[in-house]
Amino acid sequence: METEIVYVSSDRTSKIFAWIVIIILFLVYYTLMTMYAPLKKMEALKSEYAFINDDTDPVDERIFTDSAYLDLLHEKSFLQSRVAMAATDSVYLSINLSDSTINLEISGVTVHKAQMSRIRASNILRGGNNYIVLSMLSDPLIIKKNFSSIEKEPLMIKMAPRDTSEYVPDIIPDTADHETVNFIMEMENGIRLHVYQEDKLKLGDGLCRILFDIYHRFRYTAKTFLRVITFRLPDYQPYIKIRIPRSDAKIIYRALPEKGQIAVYS
Amino acid sequence: MEEKKVPDDGFFTRELISKGLNRLLIISAVILLMGFLLYGIPALQEIPLSGKTTTTNYDELKNGTYYKQQINLLKSDKQSLLRRYNSYTSGQSYMVINTTDNLFYLYRNKRLVRQGHCSTGSFKMLKTEEGRSWVFKTPKGKFRIHGKTVNPYWRRPDWSFVEEGLPIPPEDHYSRWEYGVLGKYALSLGDGYLIHGTIYKRFLGMPVTHGCVRLNDDDLEAVFNTLNIGSKVYIF
Repeated sequence: METEIVYVSSDRTSKIFAWIVIIILFLVYYTLMTMYAPLKKMEALKSEYAFINDDTDPVDERIFTDSAYLDLLHEKSFLQSRVAMAATDSVYLSINLSDSTINLEISGVTVHKAQMSRIRASNILRGGNNYIVLSMLSDPLIIKKNFSSIEKEPLMIKMAPRDTSEYVPDIIPDTADHETVNFIMEMENGIRLHVYQEDKLKLGDGLCRILFDIYHRFRYTAKTFLRVITFRLPDYQPYIKIRIPRSDAKIIYRALPEKGQIAVYS
Repeated sequence: MEEKKVPDDGFFTRELISKGLNRLLIISAVILLMGFLLYGIPALQEIPLSGKTTTTNYDELKNGTYYKQQINLLKSDKQSLLRRYNSYTSGQSYMVINTTDNLFYLYRNKRLVRQGHCSTGSFKMLKTEEGRSWVFKTPKGKFRIHGKTVNPYWRRPDWSFVEEGLPIPPEDHYSRWEYGVLGKYALSLGDGYLIHGTIYKRFLGMPVTHGCVRLNDDDLEAVFNTLNIGSKVYIF
């Protein structure tokens, strides 16, 4: 009897050990795959935006790392992106990470200004003067998807009265709004803009921000996980995470169209 | 007095503790794993791209004609882009309307001359049983003043009858015309949208309109006198 108990216990231990090894191996594989994804993204950007040297008229490629040249290119790419957006009659956003400003503009006119209090961005975007990234940012980023804690258009549906006896005049709208404002905009080229409410106006605002962040981390992790377990490289999405006052966040989110455009000065 | 029987300490208590510890261990492992996947992996992903781009400063390159040409080209491109961008900016009088906070700003020669409350679209959707629907929102973007009217009449559209449960009259019926409800002036933005006055002044600063922009009498007069036909109105 005693021998049997010892046998069961060692079998259980070896099973646990096997599971731990499997989990660790999977984590190593998962980590390697996810760490390779940014390199693949950079390769894709290089193939799309890198300068192609013409054999008949070769260019000294050292110029693409020259500080003065890149500084000018930096300003030009931001301006080029804004000029392209200004040609439309729509509302667009320009984000300047170097002076921490975020502006809503329409046709070259700044209609709303806000100050960012905390900025975090992927290294690919923070790398500063990189010819490839600057070339990518010379075109406006186009919003593909929005995820938000508030509605873009807070529509209220009202059924028309059948006759005058059913008519009830509108009461004063409820202008006291309580929702916290956090949103994520995913761009067509894979960049994500996370905007979080900076101020804690009421109890629970900080918790709402954390829950919003965790929920979307889960979503992105699930996407990555699905790709990794099917032996596909996950998508790397460079991000910009900023914090701005609630009122500014609400104005920006509601003002931008669903497929709005954004210019970034990194 | 009867004494309660406490379970024999020995084996029972040890098993309970060991089970509890196992559970705690499993829960901790799951939390650690989730933390690693949710926070650790995104942080690790940034490592391969953490190397800052090295910028150079070769004197030999800078003295070459090709370099000077490229720099001049970039400078002239930047200048022309800047000129183009500034050309979009309105030099004349214009108005900016914030529909989220229901505020307006009036500019003359790029200087703010007046600001105040307004009322914009309520975001109400009116539906009928027959399936007709209207959404009352103020459009966003760049607009121009198409026309200016003094002592405007309001031609009531279909929805204003539907909203009150009234039968819709023919297009030219007298009941469609109302005088005095739009204030002293009206400025048309096209597609039936107007900037006008209101008799519901207590609602200024609130989203209550059917898509038009309502102002109080003094603000409306200032806007009417400042903006011309063709002046730009930026709504966001």
